[in-house]
Formats: sequence, C-alpha cells, structure tokens
Amino acid sequence: MTLTPYQIVAPIISLLALAYAWNLVIRKKKSILEACFWTIFWGAIAGIALDPSVLHYLSELTGIANQENAVIVTFLGILFFMVFYLVMRLEELERRYTKIVRSLALREAGLEGKKEEYKANKEDKEHKEAAEHA
Amino acid sequence: MILAVIPAFNEEKRIAKVVAAAKGFVDGVLVVDDGSTDQTAAYAKEAGARVVRHAQNCGAGAATMTGIDAAHALGARAVVTLDADGQHDPKEIPLLLRPIEEGRADIVFANRFGRKNVIPFVRRLFNGIGNVLTLFVTGKWVSDSQCGFKAFGPKALKEIDLRMSGFEFCTEIVRETTEHRWRIVEVPTKVLYSEYTLAKGQSFANGIRTALRILLRSFLR
Repeated sequence: MTLTPYQIVAPIISLLALAYAWNLVIRKKKSILEACFWTIFWGAIAGIALDPSVLHYLSELTGIANQENAVIVTFLGILFFMVFYLVMRLEELERRYTKIVRSLALREAGLEGKKEEYKANKEDKEHKEAAEHA
Repeated sequence: MILAVIPAFNEEKRIAKVVAAAKGFVDGVLVVDDGSTDQTAAYAKEAGARVVRHAQNCGAGAATMTGIDAAHALGARAVVTLDADGQHDPKEIPLLLRPIEEGRADIVFANRFGRKNVIPFVRRLFNGIGNVLTLFVTGKWVSDSQCGFKAFGPKALKEIDLRMSGFEFCTEIVRETTEHRWRIVEVPTKVLYSEYTLAKGQSFANGIRTALRILLRSFLR
C-alpha cells in the first residue's frame, strides 16, 4: 500500500494533538470529557486520512445517502450539542453560585481564609510542578 | 480540638436534641444552616452550637463542605459529621473517632448495615444502588457510602475539597479517599429510623436525580 504525504502527516498531527490533550488532562487543565471529544475528532481525521473508504461505509451505515437526511442529522447533532453545552453551563453556574453562598456564610461567621490559603498554596505548587515538567 | 459538623435544612423539630446529645462527645458543635426557612439556626444556637448560615439552600454537600472549612478555620484536628434528623446516635461518636486517635485511619465511615438494624427495604435498595454507583465511578467499595455519619482525621481535613453540592457528595468523599490515598476504616453503627427521618429522607425521584448527577459530574470532573 502506497501512502500519500497527507496520509502520513494527518495521523502524525492527530497523534501529537492527542498527546497534548491527554497531557493537559494529567495536569488537570482539561477535563476527561474534553479529551474524549478531541480523541474522537482527531481519531476521525486520522482514520479518514488512512482509509477514505470509511466515508462510504458510514454513508451506508447511517443511510445518509441524500442531502435531506444529512441536513436533518446535522441539525439533530447541533441540537444535541446545544443541550449538552447548556447542561455544562448550568452546572458551572450552580458551582459558582454555591461558592459565593459558602464564602459569604464563612465570611459572616468570621471564619473565611485558612482553607483557601491551603488551596491557593496547593494550586501554586501544581502550577510550579507543571511548569518544571514543561 | 474535635468538632461535630451538622448540616441542617429545616430541622427545627430535631436540631436542638441532636446538638445537645452531640455536645457531650466533642469539644464543640457546628451547625451549618443550609438556607432554612424555619427556626433551625435559632434553636441550634440556643442548644449551644456555633451556627454558620447559608443565605440560600445549596444542598447537603455544600453545607458539609462549609462546616468542614469552618472547623478547619477554628483549628479542629478531627471532625465528625452527622445528620440533623437524629438518625445517628451521638453516643457512637467515640467509636468513629477511635481509629483516627489510634492513627489507623484518615477517614472513618459508619456502616448502618454492619449491625442488626431495622432498615426499610426501600432504604436498603437505594443505599445498595448508591454503593454500586460509587464503586462504578470511584473504583472503591464502601459498605455504606451514602451515610452522613463520618469522621475525618487531620490529613483528610486538610486535603478534602468537595465540589458536588447535593447528596452526591457522599460519592465524592469516596473519590477523595482514593485520590488522596486516605486510610479507611468502617465502623458498624446503629441507625434510628423514625417516621420523621423516613419522611425527611430522599424520595425516589430525588434518588434518581442524585444518581444521574453522580454519573454526570463524575464524567465532567
């Protein structure tokens, strides 16, 4: 089998991107979920580059043989992504709101500080370690 | 100093009794009033507890974490958490603290199923599902992972960082034990179920919501 330059370069770039994404997970700068998404994305790029006939197989498997079906599936995908994104944003907002309520409670009781100091020191240490590794 | 942390939400009927009972076994009692709309905070204060108040209801996990942070700020070297509805017997606090004092554990879990207790079938089922889910997302089996009666030693107190605000925090604590490699001891304890505690407990819908949140948040973390 003869490989074209694209079939060599695309998988190498995919591998590098994946190594970078999972490295960020190990350094706790990216969630496992994000890394999984990147793995699927770059895996698909590499897979299609190495074996373009995968696209024909996908077309047969999904039955997306015409443009109308493709449009419907695409919009379903977009809607799914939007709902997922909203759930993630809601989770994030709830976390921030809880953090504010908890901080206020501790401040009112005159007990704010020590734990935050510990966490800040821990984060500093992690950043330094990450910088040293890099 | 050893402190008892009691997260409480609308527990005016029981809180004073629980505080009074716990006071005899610890150096101080900290009640975290999680945005109650009744007299929980006032009764807890009257019974001799120090009260920290959430302006809004955030959930048992957030209240527990606030209590642990407050205990840490007050210089506690160990903390016992117990429910405000009176289902845990404060006389068993020394049992939970013993492994920490003997240097055998960083965290002690009460085990309501380790003794002959009268526990309704639905409760057993919910707790069993909670244990299996916890095993699935943390890789660690704890016999009673969803119980609020726990003791934290100095290492656990220093390192714990809960992000889940609802009942799913119990699973997160198990995750913390694996992440920080805390030594675990499980102690069989009594449980005092009454009509009141059963009515206050998690409903079926709430249980499903908690299970989904455990899965979602474990994945997002």
